[in-house]
Amino acid sequence: MRGSTLFVPGQTVIHHLHPVTKLVITFLCLVLAGTLPSLPWLLTCFVVLLLPLAAIGRILRPFLLRSFAVIAPFVISLSVIQGFFTPGQTPLFHLGSFIFTFEGWLAGLTVAARILLALGGALLLMLSTRPDRLMLALTERGMPGSLAYVVLTAIQIFPRFQERAQVIQEAQQARGLEIHVNIFRRLGLLVPLMGPLVLSSIMDTEERAMALEARAFSRPGRKTSLLLLEDSVWQRIARWTIMVAALGLIVLSFWLKFAR
Amino acid sequence: MNDFRKEFTTFSVALIAVAIAINIGAGQIPRSVGLPLYLDSIGTVLVGVLVGPWAGALTGFLANTVWTVTGLFPQAIAWAGVAAIIGALAGAFGKAGWMKDWWRAGLAGLITGVVAAILSAPIAAYVFGGVTGNAGTDAIVAAWRAAGLDALFSNVAQGTMSDPLDKLVTYLIVWAVLMALPQRLKARFSGESVPAQKRSTPKKK
Repeated sequence: MRGSTLFVPGQTVIHHLHPVTKLVITFLCLVLAGTLPSLPWLLTCFVVLLLPLAAIGRILRPFLLRSFAVIAPFVISLSVIQGFFTPGQTPLFHLGSFIFTFEGWLAGLTVAARILLALGGALLLMLSTRPDRLMLALTERGMPGSLAYVVLTAIQIFPRFQERAQVIQEAQQARGLEIHVNIFRRLGLLVPLMGPLVLSSIMDTEERAMALEARAFSRPGRKTSLLLLEDSVWQRIARWTIMVAALGLIVLSFWLKFAR
Repeated sequence: MNDFRKEFTTFSVALIAVAIAINIGAGQIPRSVGLPLYLDSIGTVLVGVLVGPWAGALTGFLANTVWTVTGLFPQAIAWAGVAAIIGALAGAFGKAGWMKDWWRAGLAGLITGVVAAILSAPIAAYVFGGVTGNAGTDAIVAAWRAAGLDALFSNVAQGTMSDPLDKLVTYLIVWAVLMALPQRLKARFSGESVPAQKRSTPKKK
């Protein structure tokens, strides 16, 4: 499939898992990220659960790079904000009248670890699953086909729209549009830049709609697909086990929070 | 439910896909000319106004899903609900006729911005520990915390500094696009003679 996604092609066990199985693992990570109590638990889960799966799928490198790129700004922002503004007993250093506490820093890192675990689950799914297979799996489970169409089409065409935005900007500059002006004049630039982009895209839509109709897009009833998804009994068992475990975790964490 | 069905014709489904690409494509223009705006919901507002609140909401929701799937802004999905409400609001303003003159369109943008700021803040405050993972906005949040506000209100304050202006400009652009749209295309959305629609709703009562 063309378009810009995170997907890394491969022939590993992880790649061949049914998309819904991976979606269930993502859900489990989300639940773990929300319910685990402390930083060591969260990091252990990330290392013991996600890293081996990424390694088996031979996507460890992109997995770590992507995780780092997203989590690094969070670690910095959260350390600063939670470190300075959470009261605690152990001051590490101070900046003017603001005291950076160890407790606050730890709280910030814990939130960052929660984000990392949830993000890791989503990354594992997206790095190892072709978007069209994921959409097919969801359509088979009752999601309307037009939703799958919208998501897949948007993924495929947005790089061309980014290109088009660039082309329009260059064309207008070639006609003498000055980009480096003061900030209020820059607002005026939006008209010659946005106008052609948005208008030409809406014009495109008509052609797309006709092409879709010519392929019986709005025909009701079941449609067959060129893609075939492999599933197995053990995967079905695994999915149910994970779902029950995840729901159990939610119940348990609520019980620990409110029943005591 | 009938309203819901009526909004999803083949044409509007194709438009929703294009609108998501517009969100992403247009979102890079302010960055490349150096404007401190996002302008990443032009497509969402456009669909809301042209098609209706349901389609607008769906566009917003799916746009944030696509932001996540493509890895451009993975945390976007946490704000998908807010994006959906922005789209639904655009539909409501469109139905109320606010997009007919520029000043009411601008006002609609300001209102949308305030609503978006208030709805986004709890997500940043409670899901992401008070930050969004964007250096610029997080610095502003830190400044508000230093000024004595708590996590939630620092994020509300940060949002109300940027969102109303952003949505004001978004709505004015959408208004200008609507003005420039050929009559032939506008007729497609007036709800009277839309050939594709008849086919997509065979179970019409």
